[in-house]
Amino acid sequence: MPQADPIIIGGGVAGLSAALHLAERGLKPLVLEADPQFIGGRLAGKGNLEINSWQFPLEHGVHGIWSPYRNLQAMLARHNLRPVFVPAQEELWIYREMGVVRSAPVGNAIRYSWFPAPLHYLQLFLSPRFLLTIDIRDWLRLFHVWSVLIMAVGIDPFGEDQPMEGMMLGETIRKWSPALRGFFTGLARNGLSTHAEEIPLAGFLAFLRFYTILRRDTWVFSYLPNDGGTDVCQPLSSRIQELGGQIRLGVKVVRLERAGNGWAVIADQDGIIVRFTSDHVILATDSPAAAAIIRNSFPAEAEGLSFPHGMANAVIRIWFDRQPKPGPEAGIFTGEFSLHNFFWLERIYAPYRAWNKATGGSAIEAHIYGPPEVLEQPDALLLTNAIMEIYQAYPELRGHLISQHLQRNAATHTLPSLGPRGTHLGIETPWQGLFCAGDWVRDPLPAFFLERACATGIKAANAVLTSCGKEPWTLVDYLPPEPFVGWIQSLMVKGRRRIREQKKNNPKI
Amino acid sequence: MLTAYAANWFKLARQDRHLRPNVAIYYVTGQCNLNCAYCEDFGGRRNAGNENPLPFEQAKHILSVIRTGTDALFLTGGEPLTNPHIDALVSHAKRELRFRELTLITNGSLLSAHEPLLPLVDRLIISLDSINPAVWAGVIGMPDETAESIIKNIEWAARFQKQNGFVLMANAVLSPETLPGAQAVLDFCINHGLLISFSPQSVNNWPRYDLTVSKEYQTFINKLIKLKRNGAPILGSIAYLKILSRFEPYDCYPTLVPRIYPNGDLAYPCRPLEKGNNGQGGRVINLLNETHWEDAWTKAHSLYGQPPRNCHSCFQQCYAEPSLMQSKPLSLLWEYVRYPASRKGKLTTYAPG
Repeated sequence: MPQADPIIIGGGVAGLSAALHLAERGLKPLVLEADPQFIGGRLAGKGNLEINSWQFPLEHGVHGIWSPYRNLQAMLARHNLRPVFVPAQEELWIYREMGVVRSAPVGNAIRYSWFPAPLHYLQLFLSPRFLLTIDIRDWLRLFHVWSVLIMAVGIDPFGEDQPMEGMMLGETIRKWSPALRGFFTGLARNGLSTHAEEIPLAGFLAFLRFYTILRRDTWVFSYLPNDGGTDVCQPLSSRIQELGGQIRLGVKVVRLERAGNGWAVIADQDGIIVRFTSDHVILATDSPAAAAIIRNSFPAEAEGLSFPHGMANAVIRIWFDRQPKPGPEAGIFTGEFSLHNFFWLERIYAPYRAWNKATGGSAIEAHIYGPPEVLEQPDALLLTNAIMEIYQAYPELRGHLISQHLQRNAATHTLPSLGPRGTHLGIETPWQGLFCAGDWVRDPLPAFFLERACATGIKAANAVLTSCGKEPWTLVDYLPPEPFVGWIQSLMVKGRRRIREQKKNNPKI
Repeated sequence: MLTAYAANWFKLARQDRHLRPNVAIYYVTGQCNLNCAYCEDFGGRRNAGNENPLPFEQAKHILSVIRTGTDALFLTGGEPLTNPHIDALVSHAKRELRFRELTLITNGSLLSAHEPLLPLVDRLIISLDSINPAVWAGVIGMPDETAESIIKNIEWAARFQKQNGFVLMANAVLSPETLPGAQAVLDFCINHGLLISFSPQSVNNWPRYDLTVSKEYQTFINKLIKLKRNGAPILGSIAYLKILSRFEPYDCYPTLVPRIYPNGDLAYPCRPLEKGNNGQGGRVINLLNETHWEDAWTKAHSLYGQPPRNCHSCFQQCYAEPSLMQSKPLSLLWEYVRYPASRKGKLTTYAPG
């Protein structure tokens, strides 16, 4: 059996999860991270920012820890690293049409609906503020909305390996009414971090299935009390090293080469080319970096491969010397806003809480996920527009601005999608001893983002462990659909199977 | 009890989550004479070195403050029977303060030396994870003889139930180590007239990984549900047991079961959030400085606000069962009518924690 210790390219959640599970089984993984300072990829901390002599942590952007993130939580808890989360209290939908801003709390209505899934969104129609936000056009187009929700019940794009090629969310919802289109594209944009025109329908349906449509309680989520680096990545990294693993920062992998039965990993470290060898390599970078490494390493084979897009975004943080009116700590902007979501940081993060306690101030973080022409705007314009939009939603903050900060994240955030069959790399690759992990990897797992990164990391570690004759890890199951939606799902699956059989028997149909 | 339940129900209808307690849990000491492998309390496993319990007069004061907020009390620890004043405290709680429901949670190792307590308590909860002394000795980190003596003490106490008018309950922690013997524990309880509750082992306030992926664990919980439906003396509602089977999220109301630490600190709104120390909860309210529960409760509320909604920071049975029963009144009624064991257990005994 080959016993060489594996190399993991990428120190994000996928890479760290893989490394930890390998180290727990007695291997000594080597994690190579391109960032010279911070471990954790998109969950890493990014140092501090000083505002009025107060230090505030920077990071890629606020991350939610959702209740279906079962493998991530199990991994953290097993090592006593699971922090006490800050539960999400409520989410506000802020909608602007024809210059009029309306808002309605929506999160708890979905989570604690009296109606079973998939009917739980009907609870929103019992909320007077929600009813004031929609209009007659929305009532007339309800069927269109319902049809897409039901589509998500009956089609499992990841589980069925159903790429739904060429079908985009933007096209599917074009006939919807403005407010409900705004609401669902808002959900999708926040869940998938891009605007509707770029979201593949398969990704949207999978998103609905994982986060909301099959169970009411999947919409339950929390925040980390500090930045992701402090709460998750650094503790994970320390634990891996305690177990004998190694982590090297500032090592940017360029390509892979065959070395005997194993692999040579060629990397750039401070301008010097270095070489590492191992029988097993796990490629756990983000999608664009993985694409670059694969193309450099296997130019011929890589030509036909597709990699999910990496998406850029902008994170805007604004400090005020007073608090906004009481209300939910987070929410979504839709309609005539360029901002897409927001988080009142003093209601979530410990350092901001402390600042708020001492000064009475507040700070908001808002994200912009596109379109590209908005993200291309100069910093000053982007910030000015963001501030004006926040004043529209929270007019009581006019004249109370203290400071602002714009952070542009590189195009590394994965757009969940399935490439055409046979072109999208899975955990096992065509190259023996090379495995992939990350939220971009093709796999029947229903999970998204942090949980998908963690679970594919475990699966990649399992592939290595199996190859080394060691016991693989069992993944924690995801909860089944609620009974009513489960019944609808089974009916739809049966119906689709029957149609396929009929088509097979009679191609003219 | 029912008044508090109904009042809380109306509070919830008004979106007020600052609920009145069903029962208060007072840790009369952080010290323990065992060394349980799964214990996460008070520094876990090393708590023999914890600071000494409060003097009798101060502990009495804490009890009197608690009594102004609820008439149901759990005394626990550490190991409460290591508190030198425990007999006097129990007597004071029952006879002077007239707690209507007084429950003592103990590891049972010192029980035979405290026979006078038996007529004073309404419920006695003893940890019993295995009836195989070798297995249990491994869990509690003590010699086989200690495990054997605990089992004997349970058998001894079980005989006094009718005579002294208390109900004896066993609380079994399910772990990969104890799961194979869990059926034997259940049989033991049935044979000796004990009620039993099962709870999964927690690590870092979360179900132990090995249980979350264990088919044997799920099979056992499903079996418990069937047995309970057939009349077995198993505590915990069907809703609770179902939650345990897959570790599903639930809507938690932690203030139903407030905790008071050995030094009098009130954990608000719950122990896990207080331990997190990130601004959502804390222990700056000490009952030694208060005379009335409502004052302490109001101060805590004004400092930390409403208990959070959507919290999945922990998975602990001591919060799960009362929360489920509070949020599902019909389920509670059904439990009471349908399952005799639930009638004996009552709402306030679902939190052996």
